[in-house]
Amino acid sequence: MSAMRLRRFGTFAGGIVLPDSKDATLGAPIVPIGPLTRLRVPLAPTEAEPARPLVEPGQAVSHGQRIAQASDARQVDVFAPLAGRVAGIGECLLPGPEGTWRSSPAIELVELDSVGRIEELSCHYTWQSADEYSIRLRIAEGGVCTCRPPVSALGGWIERALAASVETLIADITENTPFVTADHRLLAERGSEVIRGLAILARAVGARNVMLAVDHRRTGAYRAAVGPARLYGIEPIALPHKYPIGAEAMIVKVLTRREIPPGGTAMDVGVAVTDAATCWLTYRWVACGEPPTARVVTLSGPALHRPGNYLVPFGAEIEELLALAGLDAQAWGVCGPAMSGQLATAGAVTGPGGNAVLGLHPQQAGPPTQCIRCGWCSENCPARLNVAALNDDFELNRPTQAARRGVLACVGCGICSYLCPARLPLSRRVALLKRAIRQGQSRSRDARDAAQKH
Amino acid sequence: MHETPHRNTETKITAAAPAGMFGPFLRAPEASRDIFRVIFVAACGPAVAGVVFFGWRALVICALSVLGCVATESLYYRVTRTPALLGRSHAALTGLLLALTLPPFVPWYVPLAAAVFAILVGKALFGGVGHFLWQPALVGRLAATVLFAPPLLARPLLDRPAWPVLAQNRILLGDVTRVDRSARYRGWRGTVARSPADAVARPRPRAFLRQLSLPGAKPPDSIATVLRHMPPAWDLICGAHGGGIGETSTIVIIVAGLYLACRNYVHAYLPGMIILAAAVTVAVAPVRSADGQAWQWLPVAAEGLDVGFVYVAYHLTCGELMLAAFFLATEMTSRPVTLPAQVVFGAICGAGAILLRLYLAFPIPAYAAVLMANTLTPLLDSAVRPRVLGRRRWQRTTDTKHQA
Ligand code: SF4
Ligand code: SF4
Repeated sequence: MSAMRLRRFGTFAGGIVLPDSKDATLGAPIVPIGPLTRLRVPLAPTEAEPARPLVEPGQAVSHGQRIAQASDARQVDVFAPLAGRVAGIGECLLPGPEGTWRSSPAIELVELDSVGRIEELSCHYTWQSADEYSIRLRIAEGGVCTCRPPVSALGGWIERALAASVETLIADITENTPFVTADHRLLAERGSEVIRGLAILARAVGARNVMLAVDHRRTGAYRAAVGPARLYGIEPIALPHKYPIGAEAMIVKVLTRREIPPGGTAMDVGVAVTDAATCWLTYRWVACGEPPTARVVTLSGPALHRPGNYLVPFGAEIEELLALAGLDAQAWGVCGPAMSGQLATAGAVTGPGGNAVLGLHPQQAGPPTQCIRCGWCSENCPARLNVAALNDDFELNRPTQAARRGVLACVGCGICSYLCPARLPLSRRVALLKRAIRQGQSRSRDARDAAQKH
Repeated sequence: MHETPHRNTETKITAAAPAGMFGPFLRAPEASRDIFRVIFVAACGPAVAGVVFFGWRALVICALSVLGCVATESLYYRVTRTPALLGRSHAALTGLLLALTLPPFVPWYVPLAAAVFAILVGKALFGGVGHFLWQPALVGRLAATVLFAPPLLARPLLDRPAWPVLAQNRILLGDVTRVDRSARYRGWRGTVARSPADAVARPRPRAFLRQLSLPGAKPPDSIATVLRHMPPAWDLICGAHGGGIGETSTIVIIVAGLYLACRNYVHAYLPGMIILAAAVTVAVAPVRSADGQAWQWLPVAAEGLDVGFVYVAYHLTCGELMLAAFFLATEMTSRPVTLPAQVVFGAICGAGAILLRLYLAFPIPAYAAVLMANTLTPLLDSAVRPRVLGRRRWQRTTDTKHQA
């Protein structure tokens, strides 16, 4: 009957059902963001060395012009998101790992054109008949990044996938955190492009199984778009909406029954995970030759007056976006999903990895008190960690003990903090433990390397 | 802003910690205080049943115990100048649970003394909620058992300790200490107390059951003979038999406990496991057979399953086991945190309660079993863990693969 026949899959232990809170933007079509006064286009969208600028201050640039050249294979070229004039080289902040802000040099553009609608481009590269090698070359030329954090160059991502002989490619469009609808709208409106982008990625990484995982509550919106998926050997799958099914470790476990070892990534078990935004940008670049300069960002939350799904050029300042969307005074601007995002600061800009900017009312919760051992954190932790014991390890400063408990398996979902009746900032403490362990490991590795040299 | 740990937090983990506010920016609405308040309200169910069957004295003991706990806690905080982190809600809950375990006829100073012990020894010495090892209400109950002689905790009647319950025509308002010693007992509903007495006294039902196994007692002919002396099952289920204020009404305890399970404050596995382990132990543990010498294993099957099941059901409902299973063993701090450890903990509580009841003449077997299991909690928490995602089941070592 329907064009989209969906295989249904099981679930995982732990996790909770979060309030959906997407009504404001679920049906809102993607529209260009209003006039921007300034862009600070990051020269280091990924964590590698920044790209070298190709433009001088005062120079006029056109939309899509290459304005910086990567000097490192792990970095990407940067293109002008809008026509305008270069004001100079400055700084900007991008979200980094574990809630940090990463500073990156940025090209400041002023006197900007307005943001245009998404153009209907025709495909002029016959990727279906091209061989894998030339597809990979073409991807590596463009400035496409993986849009799922951690952001990295797509060329490097494909190389890592090839090195790990990835068999399964999963496009995760479940998007089950509250408020965020960017990938949902992208798949609903530009589904055929997303599907083709996924097919291109599957060719590039040589994956035999390609899955498109969507939320079972929203399959109706994807019918028209996803119908042709089977033509490309892509299997659409409806997943339950328990949070955090979109986390890499969970979706890999549910779809392939493989468990990622603590501290590892999906590629360690032969799986690559991507999202709708990456597929879309890949298609636009590979098939149509449009460089990646903008992505869909959901502006939403109870403290925003004009929520919606906006096409936002890279380098738009978060503060300006929040002002355009009408943020309440005293409210918080949050970069990223409400469960794992971070508070926006001055100088923060949008990059490939940011799918949402939210306006939330500040929490009224009092200060944290002591753990009452209710056990909700451990009961609902999708990584099956005893978070209360990890909290003790944090308070007593025992990172080694925490590592023995398997803290590196944490997927960073934030459920423990969300539920804790004592209001302890558990997910942050767990993140700090992980950081301390990683630093200790890299220190001991350095010491070992140094010892081997002598 | 988020970081105000109450214990010493060493600087190494937090050193150079990234500044800024972190997610999640949403929080579930329930706070610690709400949990204690809701459990308090649920524990009022058995308390009300106690007032119905034991009269105004039960109410006075509940009030004294709650006030004693709250006052002791306030005083402790005043003297040691520790900020009271969780208000008085936990102290009030401890007081109410303590009152539920006490007999309804004790003099006024017993609940007060037990409350002081519960808060000072059971809770404050360990550092309060989240740190104590033994359920404080049970520490108070144990102190009462040790400090006060049997006449205060069980009334002697003729030669045996006997426990009064208000007669049918005196419920709610009668005085449980005015006992009618001559009334012929034909089940609670068939017994009317004669003026000026308000209550009828009977041995606790579990005293009959103990004849089957305690050394020294004259062994009865058969399990069926013992069961014939027991009060009707309906009395045990609704609570019209002698016992602690909140111990007797099985049905009210179960309803209140299920409410807590629905709110997720109690994991249904824990009381379920306690009851299951207790039932299995009763069914298997040996009793003395009629000739008084040989031990009869598997009493559930000894005289036919119909007798056997009644025997098991009487054991489950006749004492403090239900209250311990739903309200005392489930106390959050003193039970293990993770679910598998809780299941083992429940098995120890249930089996221990029955073994203590059958083979030791100990006055509070189920509470003693819970205290014993509490002692093992830290061990259980580190020994029985859920399998961490991506690890093999018994893998203990530090993960070796760390880098992408
Ligand atoms: S410990 Fe990590 S995986 Fe577990 S609930 Fe907390 S944030 Fe989620
Ligand atoms: S949720 Fe909070 S209070 Fe409950 S056990 Fe975990 S850390 Fe303790």
